[in-house]
Amino acid sequence: MTVTEIDHIVDVRSSDDASSPGPSRGAGIHIEGLSKSFRLGRSTITAIDTVDLKAEEGAFIALLGPSGCGKSTVLRILADLETPSSGTVLVHGEPPAVARRNHHLGIAFQDAALLPWRSVEANIRLALEVTGKKVAPTAVADLIKLVGLEGFEKARPAQLSGGMRQRCAIARALVTEPAILLLDEPFGALDEMTRRRMNLELQRIWMERVTTTLLVTHSIDEAVMLADRIIVMSPRPSKVLADITVDLPRPRTAAMLRTPEFHELVDHVSDVLFGAGGDPEAH
Amino acid sequence: MASVLSPSPSLSGRLSAAGRRIRGAAPSLTLVAALLVAWEFAARVLIDGQSVLPPPSRIVSELTDNWSSYTVHIRATAAGAAWGWLWGNAIAIAIGFFTVLVPSLERWALRIAVAVTSLPIIALGPIFQVTLDGNAPKITLAALAVILSTLVGTISGLHAADRTSLEVIAALGGGRLTQLRKVRLMATLPPLFTALRVSAPAAVLGTIIGEFLGRVETGLGVALINAQRNVQTERVWGVAIVATAVAGIGYLVIAAVGRSLTTWAPKETGQ
Repeated sequence: MTVTEIDHIVDVRSSDDASSPGPSRGAGIHIEGLSKSFRLGRSTITAIDTVDLKAEEGAFIALLGPSGCGKSTVLRILADLETPSSGTVLVHGEPPAVARRNHHLGIAFQDAALLPWRSVEANIRLALEVTGKKVAPTAVADLIKLVGLEGFEKARPAQLSGGMRQRCAIARALVTEPAILLLDEPFGALDEMTRRRMNLELQRIWMERVTTTLLVTHSIDEAVMLADRIIVMSPRPSKVLADITVDLPRPRTAAMLRTPEFHELVDHVSDVLFGAGGDPEAH
Repeated sequence: MASVLSPSPSLSGRLSAAGRRIRGAAPSLTLVAALLVAWEFAARVLIDGQSVLPPPSRIVSELTDNWSSYTVHIRATAAGAAWGWLWGNAIAIAIGFFTVLVPSLERWALRIAVAVTSLPIIALGPIFQVTLDGNAPKITLAALAVILSTLVGTISGLHAADRTSLEVIAALGGGRLTQLRKVRLMATLPPLFTALRVSAPAAVLGTIIGEFLGRVETGLGVALINAQRNVQTERVWGVAIVATAVAGIGYLVIAAVGRSLTTWAPKETGQ
């Protein structure tokens, strides 16, 4: 590849990427030198170029980048839905295939992908049926309450709004109490207002059951709103441009969206994102 | 949270829907009535013979007067078609599911099915007459008549499963079999039932062709040939109408079963 090798590794506000001792390889997410290339006819396209990413257990990481930058591919590799071309990937201390088979993953996509013949309750229970995990008898009901779908237990997906379907999908991802929660643009198809509300809801849900979470998104606001750390990725071939720590206190509220601290972070992330894209208008 | 649940259809709503359907059918019913009157008139006044085109009234009286002589044939053909339908569809569905578990077989399965279906049923008939006994030839022909459409329906149905739903199952640690059980099985029902209901008339047709070729004593195909030989024109028409009714009833029954099993699926148009 003949790409100008400008690695804007901008570490702002004490990124704790350095040698953290103890269980750094044990739990959380550990990605080292990950590359992924696709064959397209006779040419080879590099989607991801030597990405490193470490997330300690319980962290909320946002993977932010322009559309088609390969950030979803990183998530799909973690979920063992795609295989890396090279590099080391450990999820919860295990290779993705093992983590998947051990039912350590929870996943939600932009498309809620609920089964149309199942009710909300049965769709959530699907994850239990597939994993064979036993949970408390009230677990499903509690989760329905947690995601705000009370009264809709028996409703079919076709009867729900887009936001409600995503709540159900997130409940399905959480019901098995996964070690790692993978969210691939879960609110990408929602309107701006619903998306804001769902961000606050997701934060509330996450704070109730702290789970190592990787959120793939192309919304800067969403990343700043939710994440402990934002990994900013460049367009293809995707590299890590910056690892930005978000030190806003939790719970982050709607009012916080109007504070100078929030805007400062958003501006900073935009600078990294657009500065690297070579867009002269952006600065 | 605002309720977005659509209100469940009330009784009055359903009644008015039924009323709308009857009113919607009114023009076509009128048209059918007009055609029957024209037919009656043409047969009695214009052609004025009892040869090729008997008036509908005489076909009706043939059916009502001699109904008892039809039932044995109806029973034989319905049984043959039902067995053929069951065998053909069971084989097609089994092959279809197998190809999902072993995807490399799919192209071969479809090729063989296409090849078998391309052979004219009328040419296969005599071969089965020679090699098989009793009801077996007609059942085999009925089965062959339905295999391809159901195989295509099964395979396309199994592929119609939502990709993201399959990925959710995979990410949760489920394998191919779990994907088949939890997602594909149900997702395949709408296209499968489309194939199953179309295959009901096809099975009846296969059975009647099997009966044409002899070796059986009863069946609508036998009745048709006999009526033809004896130049009983009304009876030929009567048998044709009864055969159409058997096929139509099969279609409607399977369509109703399919609808009740797939209430979650978006409504199909043109039912």
